[in-house]
Amino acid sequence: MKFLIEDVTVYFPYDHIYPEQYSYMIELKRALDAKGHCLLEMPTGTGKTIALLSLITSYSFSRPHTPIKLIYCTRTVHEMEKTLAELTLLHNYQVKHLGPQARILAIGLSSRKNLCVNPTVVASENRDSVDAGCRKLTASWVRAMAAENPDVPTCEFFENYEKAASAAVLPPGVYTLQELRAFGKQKGWCPYFLARHMVQVANVVVYSYQYLLDPKVAGIISKEMQKESVVVFDEAHNIDNVCIEALSVSIRRQTLEGATRNLSRISQEIDGFKATDASRLRTEYNRLVEGLALRGNLPIADNWLSNPALPDDILKEAVPGNIRKAEHFLHVLRRLVQYLSGRLDTENVEKESPVGFVASISSHAGIDQKTLKFCYDRLHSLMLTLEITDTDEFLHIQTICDFATLVGTYGRGFSIIIEPFDERMPSIPDPILQLSCHDASLAIKPVFERFQSVVITSGTLSPIDLFPRLLDFHPVVSRSFKMSLTRDCICPMVLTRGSDQLPVSTKFDMRSDPGVVRNYGKLLLEMVSVVPDGIVCFFVSYSYMDGIINTWNDTGILKDIMQHKLVFIETQDVVETTLALDNYRRACDCGRGAVFFSVARGKVAEGIDFDRHYGRLVIMFGVPFQYTLSKLEYLRDTFQIKEGDFLTFDALQRQAAQCVGRVIRSKADYGMMIFADKRYSQHDKRSKLPSWILSHLQDANLNLSTDMALHIAREFLRKMAQPYDKTGSSDRKTLLSQEDLEKMGDGSMHEMLY
Amino acid sequence: MNNGAGRRINGGVEEEDDEDDVNGDLDAWERTYTDERSWESLQEDESGMLRPIDNQALYHSQYRRRLRSLSSTAARIQKGLIRYLYIVIDLSKAASEMDFRPSRIAVIAKHVEAFIREFFYQNPLSQVGIVTIKDGVANCLTDIGGSPESHINALMKKLECSGDSSLQNALDLVDGYLNQIPSYGHREVLILYSALSTCDPGDIMETIQKCRKSKIRCSIIGLAAEMFICKHLCQETGGTYSVALDESHFKELILEHAPPPPAIAEFAVANLIKMGFPQRAAEGSISICSCHKEAKVGAGYTCPRCKARACELPTECSVCGLTLVSSPHLARSYHHLFPIAPFDEVPSSHLNDPIRKQKINCFGCQQNLLDSGNKAGLAVVCPKCKRYFCLDCDIYIHESLHNCPGCDSFRHSKAAPASED
Repeated sequence: MKFLIEDVTVYFPYDHIYPEQYSYMIELKRALDAKGHCLLEMPTGTGKTIALLSLITSYSFSRPHTPIKLIYCTRTVHEMEKTLAELTLLHNYQVKHLGPQARILAIGLSSRKNLCVNPTVVASENRDSVDAGCRKLTASWVRAMAAENPDVPTCEFFENYEKAASAAVLPPGVYTLQELRAFGKQKGWCPYFLARHMVQVANVVVYSYQYLLDPKVAGIISKEMQKESVVVFDEAHNIDNVCIEALSVSIRRQTLEGATRNLSRISQEIDGFKATDASRLRTEYNRLVEGLALRGNLPIADNWLSNPALPDDILKEAVPGNIRKAEHFLHVLRRLVQYLSGRLDTENVEKESPVGFVASISSHAGIDQKTLKFCYDRLHSLMLTLEITDTDEFLHIQTICDFATLVGTYGRGFSIIIEPFDERMPSIPDPILQLSCHDASLAIKPVFERFQSVVITSGTLSPIDLFPRLLDFHPVVSRSFKMSLTRDCICPMVLTRGSDQLPVSTKFDMRSDPGVVRNYGKLLLEMVSVVPDGIVCFFVSYSYMDGIINTWNDTGILKDIMQHKLVFIETQDVVETTLALDNYRRACDCGRGAVFFSVARGKVAEGIDFDRHYGRLVIMFGVPFQYTLSKLEYLRDTFQIKEGDFLTFDALQRQAAQCVGRVIRSKADYGMMIFADKRYSQHDKRSKLPSWILSHLQDANLNLSTDMALHIAREFLRKMAQPYDKTGSSDRKTLLSQEDLEKMGDGSMHEMLY
Repeated sequence: MNNGAGRRINGGVEEEDDEDDVNGDLDAWERTYTDERSWESLQEDESGMLRPIDNQALYHSQYRRRLRSLSSTAARIQKGLIRYLYIVIDLSKAASEMDFRPSRIAVIAKHVEAFIREFFYQNPLSQVGIVTIKDGVANCLTDIGGSPESHINALMKKLECSGDSSLQNALDLVDGYLNQIPSYGHREVLILYSALSTCDPGDIMETIQKCRKSKIRCSIIGLAAEMFICKHLCQETGGTYSVALDESHFKELILEHAPPPPAIAEFAVANLIKMGFPQRAAEGSISICSCHKEAKVGAGYTCPRCKARACELPTECSVCGLTLVSSPHLARSYHHLFPIAPFDEVPSSHLNDPIRKQKINCFGCQQNLLDSGNKAGLAVVCPKCKRYFCLDCDIYIHESLHNCPGCDSFRHSKAAPASED
């Protein structure tokens, strides 16, 4: 269908549109007009992606003289594939209706691991070794050597791509990763480098957050993007964490040991070079005197790491004299590693600010701040000079230099935390030194400054005024949309008491109470007997989950649960958890039924949907507060965000809402959510839940005990099993056709929605 | 409505079983309240007064929708009149739960009995068998046959519930039996499933494909909640999947399976079926009946081919295997092929028209169609004879009578030949 939004004709590939999608497009269009950033919240399952894509592409058609580029960032490769599939559909529709002028070039960009077609390289198991494998075949000195000596292996795809030079372009169209690989194979061109090249000219680019946010990658991939771009961060509820992670470094004992190994290898290489080719080291020295900016002249395949988070002056400045010589630099690094390993030998948890840390380095190891600041780039230059291709071997020393540069550069917004052991296993020493970033705005700042419009969108962003403060930007539009539902397909409940009427909570003084643990067990046991197929349980932490499962096992509750459903548990091991998830799905499919125990902030199960029968019920055992004092202090001092506000925002809005939000992915779906903690019934906590959950939370479901919840669950499941009428009855219209849209002016539209 | 009444009656039965585990720590009087939740059948009106929830309009609109969907598809399609149906009853532990009063299994048994009678009444040429699932194993309770009494008696004797439930075992068993029946028969399974999981020995997806290949139409009525595997099974095999809200809804759902479903296209070939129309034996004559193997006095039927004696019709002669029916049975199957058109709903403004107000009565029961408050109730009109009917008569005409009194009387008054339509 096509329709007008103000002066833009929107081409939408489906016959019907949800009313909330329509108003979403209106707001988005206004933000584009104003050339500003915007923040839009719309529940999952309402078709955000297609609304975004079709509006932005249509917008660009309607203004042919000022073309805009769409940069669409997703969290995972899977989401990227989904987005590209939607885009293919949209593109076909637009070409059908608009003719050849609607042709655009849209590509997805991913790591070499996902794009490489060279069979020997792609056979390696992890990302880093694929990257290194590729560099071994494509680095400029390797190719120079191959030109003299044909026995040196090179990558034929890359060679062909280089030979084709400017002729190597992609014809217009939408390319998924799969299609890109197929195209590369057919032409004999390397799809990865082709895609990287085409990113500069493509109309739509779909890639991962890291390519824009992680300073280590952003500089290479995204530096030449035009200003007239619209950047979309989809599923952006965790964007501040991504930003923070991009600038945080953690160092363990293994890292230091690896770094020491790396250093001795580098020094061997240097000795080797001294004997054979001393002039090379001298040219490097000369270059460093002139400053790091020269690096730009290196060929593109070698340009593998850079750091736009660094201030510009560092690139123009000369590298400090004490690390210009390779040996001197190695000495500095050795001292740094020595110092760090000394710090790791502590017995207590220590916390320090970067300024104090730098001062202590300078007094103990004799390395000043300026030297630290240059470590990263100095290492980079050294490795290029030494022609080191197996970069995955050198990750450890890179981490150390990364750390040094960040500590040297930023005096505020970070803190250094040294923990002697993992809090779950205090008896085993496993020291870790973390440089943790508190300020999410640091990493995202260049993005806001560079691009015309940045769209941050997700199912859960409320309270919508907090994000602009966390990320330090000023949106021109920030709106939250509700989902229009034909039936009450979500059933949130707040359970405060167990079957014996005693309160349940994971509050610190109550969490180990055997009565609470037993009541939680009883709750789950009752629920597995009335809920079909899949149930997902979220616990507040791994340690709490381990403890409670142990107790359930001892008291036999776990065995009783197993009679109804199979039990799967998320662990910190990726492979194990993937296997568990896979089997969980199978158990749900074949009707055996399954329970999945997960952790509210668990990294592994994050981003995995438990839609349809894979999750008919979610139980949140407790409130997932995360307590990091230093970060809260920083937020309070810098952005005037109160500790309590951020805590409840983080725990309820984000974690709880994300956990339960994964159950409903479409309007035909249905699911229940139980918030099992007495704290949820407090008004200040409850009111922080996202509005789409709150609007379904009836007063009658606020203060339940196990048996009452059981009854409600039974009734709800029966009601939802009845045949489902998609379009909704006349008074609750949830699907609009083209005529409906034409018929209703803007006025009635607004009435209906708000 | 009748729902509430049913509960009250059953409440008395429930108080007798004292040793129930679920609510063991509650007193009897507490249990009646917690389980029955009688306050939920009340709602507040505008002025804050309590009144029972008015479900009638809701129920009727559901019924109308069903009728319409049936008639739109069933306009002129072939129907499978000779059905071979296995009723699979889940007797796992879940069936002993008490969310239906007095227990799920008691409700199932009661309505299966009604269903079997109704089924034979509507499909006299069809046969039924019963399979039960208990402790993860499927057992054949009665072989496929045409006698309602024998099935009902066998079922009532075996109502203990225990263990897990296994969908795959039941399907395998039924598939084995139904594969043997002649090709003109329609193979159907109706599963009454209480459990919320299935414990299977193998891959159930293969079994579903097997059922699909052997053209078995599997329908499931769930008693608790929607299960993915059940939905999948019904979709694959062309059956229907429904979940009962309460006892009356369960009754409706199970009775929906009594009228014959549309025939599967591949089976819709013309077939010659041999049938015998036995004579009723003279009163007082004594002979040995072939079904019970005992001497009986009078009231039997004699097979026209081998002269063996059968007690009731319809059946299959146990000596020569001829299908024995009587002519009314055939006639009763007939109306499925020519259903009467669904009645149109009358807009209430039409009824409120002051000129007509006086004379509008239901043509069936002669009740005035206006409510006591002089507010128009719901009414329907026959598209052919344009007579008005009330909702109760509408249901009665479509589900039991199968003839429109309006159209028929019209024809008689004109002295038209009484040909069946």
